[in-house]
Order: sequence, then C-alpha cells, then structure tokens
Amino acid sequence: MTGLTAGLFALTLVAEAGAVALAWDLEPRWDTLIYVVFSGAMVGAGALIASRHPRNPIGWLLCAIGLENALAADLAQGYGLRAAATGWPGGTLAEWVVTWSWLPQAIPIVLTFLLFPDGRLLGRRWLIVVWVAAVGLALAGPGWSFDSGTGSEFVAGVNPYAVEGLPTAAMFSVGMTLLVVAMVASVVPLVLRFRRSSDVERQQVKWVALAGAVAVVVLPLGPVLWDRAPIVRVLIALSLAALPISMCVAILRYRLYDVDVVISHTVAYAAITLVLAAVYSGTVVLLGAAVGHSSTWATAGATLAAAAAFRPLRDRLQRVVDRRFNRARFDALQRMATFLERLRAGRAVPEDVERVLREALGVEDLDVRVLPPNGGLAIDLYGTPVADDPSDGRERWPIRHAGTTLGVMVAPADLTRRGSLVPKVLEAGALAVEIARLRVELRRQLGEVEASRARIVSAANDERRRIERDLHDGAQQRLVSIGLALRHAQHALGPAADGEVSRTLDDAVAEITIAIDELRKLAGGLRPAQLDAGLGPALRDLARRAPLPVEVDATTDRFPTDVETAAYFSACEGLTNAVKHARATKVVLSARRTEGRLVLSVADDGVGGAVARNGSGLTGLSDRVAAHGGTLRIDSSAGRGTTLSAEFPCAL
Amino acid sequence: MRVVIAEDQALLREGLARLFEDGGHDVVATLRDADQLLATVEQEQPDLAVIDIRMPPTFTDEGARAARAIKQQHPTVGVLVLSQHIETGHAVNLVACGGFGYLLKDRVLEVDEFLATAERVAAGGSALDPMLVASLVSPIDHGPIGRLSERERGVLGLMAQGLTNAGIANRLVVSERTVEAHVRHILTKLDITDSEDGHRRVLAVLAYLNGTHQA
Repeated sequence: MTGLTAGLFALTLVAEAGAVALAWDLEPRWDTLIYVVFSGAMVGAGALIASRHPRNPIGWLLCAIGLENALAADLAQGYGLRAAATGWPGGTLAEWVVTWSWLPQAIPIVLTFLLFPDGRLLGRRWLIVVWVAAVGLALAGPGWSFDSGTGSEFVAGVNPYAVEGLPTAAMFSVGMTLLVVAMVASVVPLVLRFRRSSDVERQQVKWVALAGAVAVVVLPLGPVLWDRAPIVRVLIALSLAALPISMCVAILRYRLYDVDVVISHTVAYAAITLVLAAVYSGTVVLLGAAVGHSSTWATAGATLAAAAAFRPLRDRLQRVVDRRFNRARFDALQRMATFLERLRAGRAVPEDVERVLREALGVEDLDVRVLPPNGGLAIDLYGTPVADDPSDGRERWPIRHAGTTLGVMVAPADLTRRGSLVPKVLEAGALAVEIARLRVELRRQLGEVEASRARIVSAANDERRRIERDLHDGAQQRLVSIGLALRHAQHALGPAADGEVSRTLDDAVAEITIAIDELRKLAGGLRPAQLDAGLGPALRDLARRAPLPVEVDATTDRFPTDVETAAYFSACEGLTNAVKHARATKVVLSARRTEGRLVLSVADDGVGGAVARNGSGLTGLSDRVAAHGGTLRIDSSAGRGTTLSAEFPCAL
Repeated sequence: MRVVIAEDQALLREGLARLFEDGGHDVVATLRDADQLLATVEQEQPDLAVIDIRMPPTFTDEGARAARAIKQQHPTVGVLVLSQHIETGHAVNLVACGGFGYLLKDRVLEVDEFLATAERVAAGGSALDPMLVASLVSPIDHGPIGRLSERERGVLGLMAQGLTNAGIANRLVVSERTVEAHVRHILTKLDITDSEDGHRRVLAVLAYLNGTHQA
C-alpha cells in the first residue's frame, strides 16, 4: 500500500476505534462491531485496489464509501450516543448527520457499478445515470434530513432540524425513486460487459455478480426479520462487506481463484442447505407425529436422514449446478468422460486423447508429450520423438497417473486462467494417456523382437551358406583330388596293373563319386546353390527332384537373399506336405511379385484339410515366414486340395 | 592338345594336370586364379582352357566371367568350365558360342569319358553335364518345347549335351536313321528353317534352353 492509501485505511480504523469506544455499552455490541467490519472491508479493499491501480477510480470510490460510512455514520453515531448519555455538546447535530449519512453513498456506489471493472464508462451516455442519481440525492437528502417524521432516530425523540412547510415527503419519494432508478440502471453496464466482453472482464463481472446475488438474497430479509432475528443484521453487514471484497478479488486476483468453481459451489451448497433443512424439518414433523412430540428419536432420525442424503445430494446438485453455472467446466469434463467411455467400449483409440483435450479446453495449439517408460527422450502419443523447446512461450502441465509422471501437456499460457479446470481434465484423461504411452512402448518392443527374429534367421541363413560353401569347396574338392590321385596311380601302374588292382581302384573311385554326390545333396539341403541363380532355377531344381509332377511358374525378378531363401524353404515345406499328407497327384509352385510383395504359393489337388498344429511343419513354416515380416495363409477345405500362400514384403 | 588349367586348389590343379598329361596331352600353364588367365590364353593360344567356376577372391563367378571373356576374344579356344554343383545361369549364356562345355567336377573321375568330352569341346563341339540338362527340363513345359513328344525332348536333351546323331543313337539304342527323323521333327516343331546343319542344331539347343529357362 502506498502512503496515501495506507493513511486512508489508518484513518478509517482510527475513526472506527473511536466509534466503538464512544458507543460501547450504549447499543447492542454486535451493532457496534458489524459496521467496523463493513467500513474496514470497504476501505481495505479500496486501498488495495488504489495502491495497485491508482488510475482506476474504483479503489478510490470504495475508499470514499467506507470512509464516509466510518465518519458520518459510525463515529458520528458513537458521539451522538455518548453525548446524549453524558451531556456533551453537539450531540443532536451528530445524530442528525447519522440520519442522512447513508444517502450520499448512493453516488459512489452508482459510479462504482458504472465503472467496474476497468474504471472506464461503457459510453458517455451512461453519465446521465450519475446525473439522475445526483438529482435524486438533491431531492431525497433535504426531504429526509429536514423531515419531522424521523424523530424516532434521535435520542430526544424529535428532529431538531425539521423544517415545517417543506414538502419533505414528496421530495423524498421523488428523490428516492430517482436514486433507485439510477441504482438499477448502474447495474445494466455490468450485464452488458458480461455479455460482450472478453474472457477476463467476464470472469471479473462474475465475481461481483456472485457477491451481488448473495446481497440480493440477504438484503430483503432485512425489512422482514430486522427486529425479530438480529442475526439478519449481521448477515446484511457481511453481505455488504462481501461486495467490495469481491471487487478487490476481481480486479487484483481474478487469475488466482476459479470464480466458476466458487459460484457453482456457493449455489450448490446453498441449495443443499435448503434441501437438507427441508429434509430435516420434514422428518422431524413426520416422525414427531408418529412417535410423539419432541421425541429424541425424531431428532435423531431427522439427523440421520439429512446425513444420509448429504453425499448423493451434493453430487447430484453439483452436476446440475455445474451444467447451469459452469458450462465450460461441465462441458470439458463431460467430453473427457464421454471419450473415456468410448475408449472402454473400444469405439475410440487412446491416442485420440490429444484431440479430445484440444476440444475440451478449446485450444488448438496443444500437444501431449509422454516420457517412455524406460526413460529417454519425450515422444508424442504415436512414438515419434519430440524436441522440446522450453522457450516456445507455452505453459507445461504435468500429467500424472497412479503416482507416476507420464508426461506433460504443452499449451498456451493463458489456459492458466481456467484455474483448476485444466488439472481436473488432465487427471481424468491421464488413464488414456497412460494407455497410449504403453501402446507406444508395446509397438517399440514388438518392433525390436521382430528385428531380432529377422536377424536370427538371417544369421542362420548366413551360417547355412557358409557350411554349404565349406562342403562344396572343401570336402568335395578334396575327394575329387583323392580320386584323381587314384586314377593317376592306376595310369602309372599301366599295363603292369593286374585286373584285381585296377578293379579295386575303380571301386574306390566309385565310392568317392557316391560320397561326393551325397555331400552335394547335403549341401543342397542346407541351402541350394541354385538360389544364387534366383528363385526360378531353384524352384525348378526342386520340382525336378520331386516324386510327382510339379509345375513351376516363377518370376525372373530377384529379391533380397533372405527373402528368396525363406520363399524357397516355404516351397520345400509345402511340397513335402503335399507329398506326405495330401495324397496329391499334381502340384503347382508359383512365385509372383504383387505390389512390392513376393507371393509364393504351393497348390496341390490332394485331400485337403491341412491345419497348422503345434510342432507340425506348417507351424514351423508359419514362424519362418513371420520372421521376414510375412504372412502365411493355408486354404485347405476337405476334398478341394490345399493351397499354401506365403507373402513376403520386399523393398527391392 | 595344348591345355591351360585355372583352378585355385593346388591338389586338384596338379591332379588335373597329371590327368591330361597321362592322357597324352600337353599342359602349357596352370593358374591359381582368373587374373592372368586371359593373358596366358592370349600368349599360349591353347586348344582348351579348363576353368573352375569359383575362384578367388570372391569365390562366386570369377571363372564364368573369365570363360566369357575368352570366348569373346578367342572364339576358337575351347572352354571347359568345371563346377561343384549346378548353376544354370552361367551355362545358358555361354553354350551358344560353341566350343564350350560345362561339367560337374567329379566327372573327371571317369577319365576316358572326360577326356573325350574335353577333346570334343577343344574341337568346337559343346558339352553340358547331364545333371544340368535335367535341371533345365521341368516336367511340364510351356511354349514351343511343350509341342515336342517325350521322346523328342529326350533327343533334344542329348543334343544339348553335345552328342552327335550317332552318339544319341548309341545312347538310346535305336538306329541312327530314327534319330535323324526325330531331329527333323524337332527342328520343324521349333520352326527352325533350313540352313547349315550344325548351326541349326545349336539353334535348337538354344530354343530348348531358353524355353526351359524362362518357363
């Protein structure tokens, strides 16, 4: 607070302290104290606003109202009471000031409403409302202060300043009417501002509307219950004090508190209070009639009923109130709840949570980033790494689920004014984020498993190829050399070799030839060397060795070595199956390129009914195909033959 | 017959050299890889080059490429390619040249037959390993080859191996005139018109190989 505002506040407190000291024991104590609260709240709020926003007249207007009240109403009343009790001079003058002290406040009050919250009029024509109030005050002021009918306000019982002959009653009623019209008119700009303004002004007006609504409910109780229930006077003082405080919060702290939540909770709890009171009294009456008056049973039963009704009532009423008074919040939470329901029903995918957040919060520029479960860089919900730029001017909200931080929501900073709505929506959506995050991780691990399986198969293929080379170029060649050596020996012996030695050498060479042939078959089984020439030659070679007619229809295109190898062995397995189990008379092997895929099929005309069972050759074949990211389809209805189709993706 | 041998395995190289020498031929050079093969052939002008299909450094088709180079630059030099197993791709491209043979390595152990084949290749004939021919024939064929009867296909296969009509008659135990009739039918069915007989035979074999290879 600046010096001036602090001085005003101090002056008010001093005046009120004086008033309390003077009026002590001369009127009901609560009557003495509640006006301290009112003036203090008024000047306190005004001083706070004025010190932060000295150019905004609202703060100064609130100070004026509070200070006028402290001096003209409270201090003067205290002096008047004390003077009447002890005979100090000027007592009646003080009492007279008190009688009209409330009237001048009308002007700053009207101005405050007209200028709230930014200190500017909506337009120059609204000045007329001030003029109406001024004329009203000019008529009602004399009409009230010089009226002889206000004698009851004085200790002496008469108004010593009454002016006979002045049409005070007419002046007061006309002036008061004008003042009321000005008051009502001054509220119109608030409604207009609420309707047309930006979010900020709208939120500010809501604060005042809240306090105003409370005042509207409480103030009419005054004329009815003023004398019968003194507590009403306290309520009125507090509700009046709430107005400047709400203005203060609206102007200085509207970002800090979520006015929608405060409003909806206020309304909800007021409604609950009413309903519970009805439940309570209704139960008392009913049970009282049943078990006798003032029974403790009736009281206990009523309490129990009210207590039992509290929780479900609160939830139900909060929903109704939220729908009515807090539409944005209700809609946002409702949208997220609907999404979660669709997710559970399998009609939405968890990755949609980002879109739902954008819609629920009404922000397009919103991203959800998650941290992978095993650490590492932040990724989006589809697993793409995202470079985070902390200086992009956006705000980050943590997303937590079951005590773990899953990631952040990145969105424009002005979402902070939505208060607790954003954390609430995020809390609701965290489950979907967690599922999406786990799905990303699942896909990543699956990809790794597939890659590692392909590597294992590829390594096995390389190993087969190596062994095949070793057999061909090592053992087989060596056997040929030995055979040649034997033939040379046979030749060197020449005519000297008798029939038996020559026959023995012939037999040895024949054995070697058989051994070479067996080695060739062994190597071919590991990985046919024909595959070097392509799938077509390899398949034709396979067909030639088959014990039944095999037609080959193969593309001359080449594919990655691993894919050709896998396709070849798929054909081997399919052919073996046809020969062993299908009782086929004819098989067609085909290898085609279709839309970047190699499709190998083995079709027989056998008995059909083949299924891939655990441990069967077809299961092994399925694994082999899957290792290359391919799929195996078995089409085998009984009596219509079997067609095996293996599809391999191939980049070439 | 003057022979050049290219074979990376020392034992086998020496064994082959001895085999030809024992058969009364003249081995003018032995090489351990394909690098110097062309230069050696140019210098020595041999009747026959015996080449291992897999040789250093990559052990894939060095021999086949060297064989092709020799046939292009020295068409009169006979080329006999040896392989541990059947690789159809190389054989089909080269057989059209004439004076070319492709045999599995272990055929060398049947010395007399092997030397006879080698001499035939050196003289400009051709020779394909029976196993290679068999692997080129699939049981059901499309195209012109499909029009041949089973017997005619058998005769054509033997033609592809490089056998003369007399050799085929011997192998099938029929008269030479029967073989001539078969050959005539084959040439007609494959739409090969009249020309010098040897050339027509090569064309027929080519049609046969292409037909089976592309089926």
